[in-house]
Amino acid sequence: MSGPQALVIGGGPAGVSAAVALARAGIDVTLCEQGPRLGGAIHRQPDDQTQSVRVPRAHKQRWQALSDELAASTVKVLCRHMFAGIEATGAVLLEDRNTGRLVTRRPAALVLAMGAIERVAPVPGWHLPGVVSAGGLQVMMKSTGRAPSGAVLIAGSGPLLVALAAQMASLGNAPVAVLERSPRLMSLRVIASLLRTPAYLREAAGYVGTLVRAGCLPQRGAFVTAIVPKDGRLSVSVRDRGGRERQLLVDRVALHDGLLPNSNGTAAHPNGPFLVRAGDCREVLGGAAALADGRLAAQAVLAHLGKRGSDSTGAELAMARERQAQAALNTLFDYSGRDPTELPDDTIICRCEGRTLGQLRAMLDSRDPVSAREIKLNGRFGMGACQGRFCAEWVAAFVASQHADGSPPQSSEIVGSRWPVKPVPISAFVTLPPSHPSE
Amino acid sequence: MSEVPSFLFDGKAIPHTGNETIAAALDRAGIHTLGTGQAGCAGRYFCGIGACQACLVIVDGTRMEACLTPARSGLTVKRFVPVSS
Repeated sequence: MSGPQALVIGGGPAGVSAAVALARAGIDVTLCEQGPRLGGAIHRQPDDQTQSVRVPRAHKQRWQALSDELAASTVKVLCRHMFAGIEATGAVLLEDRNTGRLVTRRPAALVLAMGAIERVAPVPGWHLPGVVSAGGLQVMMKSTGRAPSGAVLIAGSGPLLVALAAQMASLGNAPVAVLERSPRLMSLRVIASLLRTPAYLREAAGYVGTLVRAGCLPQRGAFVTAIVPKDGRLSVSVRDRGGRERQLLVDRVALHDGLLPNSNGTAAHPNGPFLVRAGDCREVLGGAAALADGRLAAQAVLAHLGKRGSDSTGAELAMARERQAQAALNTLFDYSGRDPTELPDDTIICRCEGRTLGQLRAMLDSRDPVSAREIKLNGRFGMGACQGRFCAEWVAAFVASQHADGSPPQSSEIVGSRWPVKPVPISAFVTLPPSHPSE
Repeated sequence: MSEVPSFLFDGKAIPHTGNETIAAALDRAGIHTLGTGQAGCAGRYFCGIGACQACLVIVDGTRMEACLTPARSGLTVKRFVPVSS
């Protein structure tokens, strides 16, 4: 094909939706997914395709329809291909995990639909083996088709806690407890706001029904204060709504405090392709919105290329509806995590290099104000292998809380934006072919 | 009966189903500590999507996320020891 080329990164609903819409308009589209198959976090199914995990009917229908459209399209799909960034000449770098090589592309447009990452607020012991993010536990469960083994505690805040607990119960190992930090219960006002998106109410009712039968409804207003290793297991200190402390001995702890766009390294490059983000990667609104946002991203690309797309009114209405629903849902949760003033100095903040809250406090005490560069280069917060994905946002908020005046550094300033956006083995570069013959 | 498919993790044979990641196979084998890590943060499975980099292991000589890398028979997987640890 000799027409304009578009590269879409991320094989979840936003990416597939954008890819299908672009292909329909005659664009030569390549869709890259880091995993072995498409679906994203929401539509993940066991790697062994003879197995399956139960999903809400609305999710299943939505994904089936989209998969059918993709199958009938001209979109080229590359699995196990990861976005590694945009280099100085504007070339898009992809790490092909099948061959262990970096490949370069020079598309006219790049759609980044890499979903969300989880917020997990620091708590003493959150770095221990056996402590996972709730999404991480869900990935393990969905990709194996089995409930995680042993006694599992789920804690934090957000709708994912209940979804995960119900999915575990359905697979035969309900969690020993679900601790939801927010004391608020579903209110009539929230239900009223969700009437336009009844799928959420049906989904919630399904999960709650499963949890009632399993006898593990969430304990509202309860949270984890510390996790310590004990006899090869994890001893978890839990505080309930009335302030009472108790200990639970478990094998795994799943933590979750909401979702953030997976936007590290997604800034446009002056020499790079026209870039647009889609789905949770741009704004965390969930799977239904991701479908619509993928279409809007495709519209933006088509407009940039001077091509006419289809009418986007429907997608815009869907986005407005989903934004309202998510705003209503979010009033039920408390993503703030443990109050930093309650955290001991030896609490790990940077999970990659073991940098502690005490070390961060000492940095802030020593002089005033502290820059984003100092936090990263001297403090090494946001410097480790995850590149700040699990600490930068928290560190920025903590610094801001300590220095209310002035202009405290933003999370994005601590992280920076440069390629590779995640660690790539040096062997992948050694074998890098020239990106075009003249180089 | 045919031999159970397996890979080596620090010299120990770990069975796998042929349809799972290294992280899933190690988890089923009861192995949760995947490396020495840095400053007391041992290598371990956490996010499941390659974002946190906590589950890095050495797969046939190359650093890889255990959560993203398919388990294959004959692989030699080792615990990751960072140079700075």
